[in-house]
Amino acid sequence: MNQASASEPRPPETALAPGPTLEVRWRLAEPTDLPFVYRLVTQVDPRWYRFSRNGLEPSGMLELLAGIAAGAVVLDDYGQPIACALLTDAGSSGTGAFEYFALPTPQAQQLARSVAPDLLAAVFSASKLRRLYVERFDNDPMVLGEAAHLFEAEVVLPDFLRIDGIYEARTTLVLTAERWWPWHEARTTTTATPDVAETDRSAA
Amino acid sequence: MITTSRIVFRPVLPEDYPRLHAIESDITTAMTWRYRGQLPPLTAYEPALWAQTQQIMVVEGRDTGTIVGYLQLHDTDLRAGNASFSLYSGPEHRGSGMVMEGLMAFCEWVFGNWPIRWLYAHSFEHNVGAFESGLRRGEAVRLGVLRERMAVDGELIDVHVIGIERESWLASPLRRRFNTLRTRQL
Repeated sequence: MNQASASEPRPPETALAPGPTLEVRWRLAEPTDLPFVYRLVTQVDPRWYRFSRNGLEPSGMLELLAGIAAGAVVLDDYGQPIACALLTDAGSSGTGAFEYFALPTPQAQQLARSVAPDLLAAVFSASKLRRLYVERFDNDPMVLGEAAHLFEAEVVLPDFLRIDGIYEARTTLVLTAERWWPWHEARTTTTATPDVAETDRSAA
Repeated sequence: MITTSRIVFRPVLPEDYPRLHAIESDITTAMTWRYRGQLPPLTAYEPALWAQTQQIMVVEGRDTGTIVGYLQLHDTDLRAGNASFSLYSGPEHRGSGMVMEGLMAFCEWVFGNWPIRWLYAHSFEHNVGAFESGLRRGEAVRLGVLRERMAVDGELIDVHVIGIERESWLASPLRRRFNTLRTRQL
């Protein structure tokens, strides 16, 4: 993955999510993460549609990854990767797309939800994005955690893809910088209190 | 090839490229069409024209033999059964309805020849009027609006996402009328 475009200013190499019990970490993705990303794509196939739409032929996926601006990998308590986030399609119009998937286990999805706001903070801090898009199928696990309610649906493509025999719509959601920053600043202040951090995590 | 009383709808040929290039060079639309003012020179036009594109069909005025516009089938996704299209009209023929007649031919051709259930188009706010009659009649649906999606010359512009569903097209009175007119040309 090409990380050059995320070089200034960049988020910390490793960050700890708030809270005393779960040490959820994330770091910028590296070329050595490719086997994990490929495994993740296969496990959620075809929901990570950027990669699944043309099948899972590995060289095709490598080609797609080469054009991606920045990525992050979420690690569990043992340092094993459990989720991956990518910033894609970031262009001169001040928009970009956030693609975020976790291994299909309840624990991985829970960890992914808890770290999602920190990843979004890194995206907005490291870029001048006005609008950040997320595209999802109806039955995709929601891993945006506390930040999920900030996203608003703008486009729904009905019956977009048949998954396990059922057509699912594909929805484009947007998070604007105007909605993000006040919420983030309030959250940053609030999560300094351990009791509130616990409450937020259980809600995610 | 589809023929009506006014148009001939056919696949593009290399000798058509200069005319397509001229259509895309129109300064009134150059910033809002796909190249955003960076249209490559004619010598480098062919690969750019065909990028992510499966087929290009031109709309020719039957009286003059002049290409009045063209339609592009692109980003075809056969796994999902959908594709996108773009529609370009020569400046002197906008409002004539000839390219929109070409769009009817295009729907007939796509849904008759490709395993596609949905066709999508992204239309800037100021161009979406071209689809309004289809939206009113129900052949097309507005699937949403990407607010302030694009920045053109410092101005933020909404992008409308328009969809044409195969079943809606096949059942539409407009399609029946279009094919009746075609039959009369035979």
